[in-house]
Amino acid sequence: MALTDTRPDTGTAEAAAPTGEVGFPADLIGSGDHKVIGLVYVALALVLGVAGWVVTALYGIHRIGDGDFLSDAAATNLASAGRLGLLLIVAAPLTLGLATYLVPLQVGANTVAFPRAAAASLWTWLLSAALFIVAHALDGGLGGGRPEAVDMTLLAIAGMVLALVIGSVCVITTAVALRTPGMALDRVPFFTWASVITGSIWVLTLPVLVANVALIYVDHRYGGPTEFGIEGGQWAQVSWLVGQPQVYAFAIPVLGIVADVVTTLCGVRQANRGVVLGLIGAFGVLGIGAWAQPYFYPEAQDQALFAGMAGLILLVTLAYLGGLAATVRSGRPSATSPLGLAAVAGLLLLLATVAGLLYVITPLELRETGVYADGLFALVVASVVAGGSAGIMYWAPKMTGRTPSDAYGKLNVLVLLVGGALAGLPLIVLGFATRFDSLADAADALWGIAVAGDIVLALGVVLTIVALFSTTRGASVGPDAWGSGQTLEWACPSPPPAGNFGELAVVRSAEPLLDAAEPAEEA
Amino acid sequence: MAATRALPPAPPVQRPRVLVVGSAFASAAAVMVFVALIGVYLSQRADTLLAGEAWLPQGLDIPLQQPTTMLFTLAMSVVTMQWAVSAVSNDDRINSYIALGTTLLFGVATVVMTTYLWSLMGADVSADPQAVLIYAITGGHVVMLVVAMAFVALMAFRALAGGFSARQHDGVTAAAIFWYAMVAVYALIWISIYVTK
Repeated sequence: MALTDTRPDTGTAEAAAPTGEVGFPADLIGSGDHKVIGLVYVALALVLGVAGWVVTALYGIHRIGDGDFLSDAAATNLASAGRLGLLLIVAAPLTLGLATYLVPLQVGANTVAFPRAAAASLWTWLLSAALFIVAHALDGGLGGGRPEAVDMTLLAIAGMVLALVIGSVCVITTAVALRTPGMALDRVPFFTWASVITGSIWVLTLPVLVANVALIYVDHRYGGPTEFGIEGGQWAQVSWLVGQPQVYAFAIPVLGIVADVVTTLCGVRQANRGVVLGLIGAFGVLGIGAWAQPYFYPEAQDQALFAGMAGLILLVTLAYLGGLAATVRSGRPSATSPLGLAAVAGLLLLLATVAGLLYVITPLELRETGVYADGLFALVVASVVAGGSAGIMYWAPKMTGRTPSDAYGKLNVLVLLVGGALAGLPLIVLGFATRFDSLADAADALWGIAVAGDIVLALGVVLTIVALFSTTRGASVGPDAWGSGQTLEWACPSPPPAGNFGELAVVRSAEPLLDAAEPAEEA
Repeated sequence: MAATRALPPAPPVQRPRVLVVGSAFASAAAVMVFVALIGVYLSQRADTLLAGEAWLPQGLDIPLQQPTTMLFTLAMSVVTMQWAVSAVSNDDRINSYIALGTTLLFGVATVVMTTYLWSLMGADVSADPQAVLIYAITGGHVVMLVVAMAFVALMAFRALAGGFSARQHDGVTAAAIFWYAMVAVYALIWISIYVTK
């Protein structure tokens, strides 16, 4: 649908075939429907997520013992592929896919802004991700030994960032410019708000990665290389992306998902909603890390700003979780898997921010080796995976029109909690080895536990996929699958038809469906 | 499962300025690439000077005449671009065609001047990190300029096809936003590289 197209006449189920039924391959490849684009993004991110955690596990195995499990070249490639891949191929597209699907529904729009650009974002990302994987297979990881393949990796990274930025622009433009009447920006659902913050932060920071990649590429391909493209410096120039505080920018959507899940499944309005929105915004601002590039600015991590941001983001996370805990106490929480997965995501994020605060304390010498940062990174990405799984279980009835198996979801609560903790915490502990020699002696055991955690996380992603597929056998649901929906996506049919909505409501609060229900209850 | 709740119908949806908002975000992303590149350039330069060494290597000469000519060319293009926005918002088609065409002409002139400047500078990308930085930044700007020209050309064709009116001229406004961002980036480059050297 072009930008200038008129709004579809109706959003009734009779108006068009449900968009969950995607013809293959023409309807899929040529679709500008945000629901198709979002679902494909999510599905591919999950499938590649399994591979991402397996790659991370393989690198962990290499770190056990004498480091002779892999050749040096293979280890370099796996290190680069695992960390960048988990962010750019798994975490970012998982949350962007959910946002592409849900933000138009949550703001009462009939489409995402620039649907063709959103489709271009998906396919550009997919091609770039494929190029990224192929290049790494050809010894082209950052610092890899095959120059042509390294150039391919650089182009793939730039392509993925370009795709993610385009997708983000579509999502935030939808939230900014296509909201239904009466929905002021402070009345948008939490996930939409988090998507706006995420998109804004990505638009401002991910282009900085493109700048880094451009310098490396020009020097590596056309230069001596002289400085930027030399083998040992390539990873160092982009490592800020996977380090504190920038890595938190990939976890912002988790805050929105968790808040939406908690308020709906507890059946109450979020108290002090504006404060929670402000906390999500503050978390986003504190996740801006493009300025802290140790390669160009070695003192960055010793600055008060760096330490201050780490402290503040912990306070913000605590306040945010405290606000949601108050909602749980005042509401009627149901023992469902989305709520459990949301709790896991929140807990892992809290652990990550606590670890982040310790990271900036210079006397602890946690920045001496990269192990501690690897643990922090694993906790954040595990939190994103848990948050994404919570979102998938929560919105799966909306996406498919059927309920997923809650048993798989509940099992996944345990799996992702255990996996996230095992993948991250042992490396956090190992980070203290510079001060405690006995920990260095236990390095192999700690790496072994972390590897087990990576594998359990891969299993958790598989369980999420299985749970999503279980909707094929689930019961059909109406528009409001949970019976306590507060936001507009629960007012349109499940799955949403082309055009999403028919007659739109005038939104008078942040919980329009509760507004509509309350007069009936009073009567 | 709850039944669908009956909600009162909303008034007709007014068409928002989607393209303008999207263009603003895209422009911000493009500007950030150059903010980062110029930040690296200035940081590397400061470190080198602090070490008591000369920043630009021997043989790398950056003249000021051509960059300043480009600055004035692009400054004039801002005027013509705003002329186009003003003309299209007044349904003045002849003036909008002339203004968009002139803007494109200024863009082409800037591309030509940049390539001429590269031939004058004698920067050896295979030997000096300074040359890598200069080529990455100025080359990146040429890419942004070409994208901006493509955007303006697309909107010019739409205007020729009668696609805009006084009531709806978001396309030209959106192209103008990206164009202004491109010129602002050039101003940064002019100060940081060509003047400061």
